[in-house]
Amino acid sequence: MSDKLILKKDHLTTFLRKLSKEYQLVVPLKNCHGDTLFTVIEDLDSQPPDLVNQPQNSLKEFMLPQQEVLFTYKNSPGDYSFSPATVKPPPTIFFGVRPCDLSAVLYMDVIFLQGRTDPHYLQKRENSVLIGLNCNTSFADCFCNATRHGPFLEYGSDLQFTDLGDRFLVEAGRSRGEEIVRKWGYFFAVAAKEDRARKYQVFLEARGGFARMVHVDQAIKRLREKKVDDSVWHELSLRCQDCGGCAYLCPTCTCFTIIDRPVDNVRGERLRSWDACTFAGFTNMAGGHNPVNAATDAIRQRFMHKLCYDVKDHGRPSCVGCGRCVGICFGGTDIIRFINMACEGI
Amino acid sequence: MTDISPLYLPQPAVINEVIEENSQIRTFVLSFCDREYNEKFTYLPGQFMMVSVPHCGEAPISFSSTPEEPGHIRLSVRRAGRLTNAMHRMKKGDVVGLRGPWGNGFPLDDMVGRDLLFVAGGIGLAPLAAVIRTCIKKRDQYGRISIIYGSRTPSDIAFADDIAAWGMEKDVECLLTVDKAEPGWDGAVGLVTSLFDRADFAPGKQTALVCGPPLMIRAVLSDLGNRGFADEEIITTMERHMKCGVGVCRHCHMDGRLVCADGPVFSLARLRGLEVMELG
Repeated sequence: MSDKLILKKDHLTTFLRKLSKEYQLVVPLKNCHGDTLFTVIEDLDSQPPDLVNQPQNSLKEFMLPQQEVLFTYKNSPGDYSFSPATVKPPPTIFFGVRPCDLSAVLYMDVIFLQGRTDPHYLQKRENSVLIGLNCNTSFADCFCNATRHGPFLEYGSDLQFTDLGDRFLVEAGRSRGEEIVRKWGYFFAVAAKEDRARKYQVFLEARGGFARMVHVDQAIKRLREKKVDDSVWHELSLRCQDCGGCAYLCPTCTCFTIIDRPVDNVRGERLRSWDACTFAGFTNMAGGHNPVNAATDAIRQRFMHKLCYDVKDHGRPSCVGCGRCVGICFGGTDIIRFINMACEGI
Repeated sequence: MTDISPLYLPQPAVINEVIEENSQIRTFVLSFCDREYNEKFTYLPGQFMMVSVPHCGEAPISFSSTPEEPGHIRLSVRRAGRLTNAMHRMKKGDVVGLRGPWGNGFPLDDMVGRDLLFVAGGIGLAPLAAVIRTCIKKRDQYGRISIIYGSRTPSDIAFADDIAAWGMEKDVECLLTVDKAEPGWDGAVGLVTSLFDRADFAPGKQTALVCGPPLMIRAVLSDLGNRGFADEEIITTMERHMKCGVGVCRHCHMDGRLVCADGPVFSLARLRGLEVMELG
């Protein structure tokens, strides 16, 4: 991130309004119930983005919708044909994306674009601009410092914002970000030396400000060395209520299922929907055989995938430390609970 | 805009023939409706197709045919769930959707010049049939071929005509066994491993290919190991629930590996150290 610029906070709304003329804009927004969610914003003037609270959802639902049509089909005697889905997403700017959620998109890029390209993901991803916002203070359940996905993002966004009080330090990370600051250059001033120094100061304070101490590295090491006792999996599988809440809220849980939805006798849609590896039927085979014992190992795959397999395959855990599963889990089987149990007795 | 391949879009294929292998298994002989696609289509023995049936979604089915006979493919389907039951109701002239080929296939190049031992149970003979047909087509490239096949009862013996034909080939031996005899059966009764003493084993210059129900695989892998086969000489192919077939949806996870993308063919050497149902 080479160019360092300043955008005065007073100018943010005007800047976003300019962007919204050419892009669909998605920002964290407080709804009528007081919940903050990434939302497509229609009217910037009536309500500003909520940059104070952690959005309850992530960008996952925009890149991998909870349900999407892969294609439609027609069938009649001697005919069974398939037509690609034709919905094309509008160019979209995501503003105010925290390092955890932005890292999650980078992880999804690996899953859906490395190897065989997933055309449905690609279509949404290549139409998106990501504007990140570093976290000066952590939220209640955050531990991105321990998973090394935050509190400041090192690379991967198109533009990266840091809150410096009355101004944002703005760094262009990728060409799409550079295009934006070039096109709307009159909003930006070159950052002074003090601004850059201030960013570092803010970073140091943020890094030291986490309420939770989570021993992610220790858990990864113990999993790799197969030192996590079976009783941990059994205890957690017993407590897990099979609700799938953790997987749905998790910005990197990308497992899905594919089903047919008949429209009538001769037409239908093939749908992709979110799924969760903790669900008892996830691995169930036709005829009823299941290679995973739900009673003892239902939850093993979830934590092994995030903290062991992905470290092996991609070099770092796919838990980004956002802490959302901690808030949602009523069975007490969230990832922090697991990490603590895995590290017990060290 | 990047060129996007239709990763999830099936190709219509017409059923040319339905062969009733036994009361539970039917082989569908298929060709793609698009003639050009059909001519260009090829695959490896051991790979599979995702088969679409109207309103039933998709299921993974291995090839039981050889790419050495282009123009049509064979998919042998055991009646097990909603989709396969619906497929069993389909007739000549009906159309299914096919997506693939996916998965890795058997290491045919590594098998050149070696003796081959095929051990199968039930529908497990289907993916091995793809290899057997290929090796018989290229008979001079491989050594002796031994086929050991177990079925529940004599009337459950699938691919009976194929087995009879393979047995007529030079240096091909077929040994059959059943779990339970029926009147008129004078062949062997017992597990496939009970035939092992009658077959010529040559660890070191023989590759064993194994497919069947998990318990059979477990017993066979352990028996072959005791008889001196190295882990690299024992190859098996796994069956799992799958949705995408291309290594993304993760329904077929197996201790960090995905059966659809990392397999479905694995040497025992690759399975060692993993927690796998088939290894016990």
